[in-house]
Amino acid sequence: MHNIYARFNGVSGLWSTCLIALAVAITLSSFVFTADPKGKVDLASLKVFHTKAKRYPYKQEELGFVKFNITADLRPLFNWNTKQLFVYLEAEYTNAQGVNNTVVVWDRIVRRKEDANIVQSPKNKYKLRELSRSFKNVSPAEFSLKYNVMPYVGVLTYGEAARTASFDMPEALDAVS
Amino acid sequence: MFSEEIKTLRRLGFRHLLLQILNFASVIASGLMLWKGLGLFFNTESPIVVVLSGSMEPAFYRGDLLFLTNPANERYHTGDITVYKIPGAEIPIVHRVLETRDILVSNSTNESKNDPTRFAKYAPGPNQLLLTKGDNNHVDDIGLYSGLDFLERRHIVGKVRGFLPYIGYVTIAMNDYPQLKYVVLGGLGLLALIQRE
Repeated sequence: MHNIYARFNGVSGLWSTCLIALAVAITLSSFVFTADPKGKVDLASLKVFHTKAKRYPYKQEELGFVKFNITADLRPLFNWNTKQLFVYLEAEYTNAQGVNNTVVVWDRIVRRKEDANIVQSPKNKYKLRELSRSFKNVSPAEFSLKYNVMPYVGVLTYGEAARTASFDMPEALDAVS
Repeated sequence: MFSEEIKTLRRLGFRHLLLQILNFASVIASGLMLWKGLGLFFNTESPIVVVLSGSMEPAFYRGDLLFLTNPANERYHTGDITVYKIPGAEIPIVHRVLETRDILVSNSTNESKNDPTRFAKYAPGPNQLLLTKGDNNHVDDIGLYSGLDFLERRHIVGKVRGFLPYIGYVTIAMNDYPQLKYVVLGGLGLLALIQRE
């Protein structure tokens, strides 16, 4: 009964049970933290330009260019089970056919609590484009600042920190080169 | 070294050996049932995946374990982390959704794939076009889609809901060093056979 297999089996069984229990406890513990911080985001500028389409250079395409100001203190989202925040600005509009579109125009990874007080005035990192290649007749666009809390162990959670009013997409301008 | 074990194996006889094989088979079968059951429940072909690349660092590293769900009537949103599989590519990819377009995708294959304006005609509908990007990559994934402009729902394996670090590294190690796989499997099998109740 007391041979090496039995001992090894017992010890490794105990260890894995303890590890699983610990992981479950940590996962459950993060449900206690229900921080829901709010911030502010406004548009500084929203312009649309005619450009050449990326994959089809003989076609024209309209691209949106956004500048915005973010003030959001997301430090309350950091608890002992927060590995990092993925913070992103999403543009949302409905096109002329009635198709609902959401596009991420900016994102940032926050890995430390000290960096989670976000005061920034960036412009779009990713292209704001439309399936029909034109923003003509689209609904007014709303921009929202969202975040994804990524844990060391457990469940990924999402939230919204701020939202702008609706902005009409302006008439496309010719790009100055 | 194993002489004692072989002696006990002789003593216990052929029926005992069969019983142990049956036990071993039932362990494997219940594992498979659990896997497939979870897959059915969460509507995904693989409810648990191991991260194989560094394209989502620092969120996910190689060897981390992800738990997926794929509810049929739930839309994907920007910021969701999806696992997708392009036909022709063997390895599923874990990346974050950058764009969603809620359209009605027709399943007709006659449509010209080369017509760049074909999406413009699409009406709103229950399907979605998705564009993804890895957090650690500088550009979006269009280059990975083998000619497609967007992912569609049928390419998506699931949405990442839960995270467990490191555990999956065992499978990566087994793939990188096949000898280890045989040693572990052989060892487990041998243990199951010569174990005494």
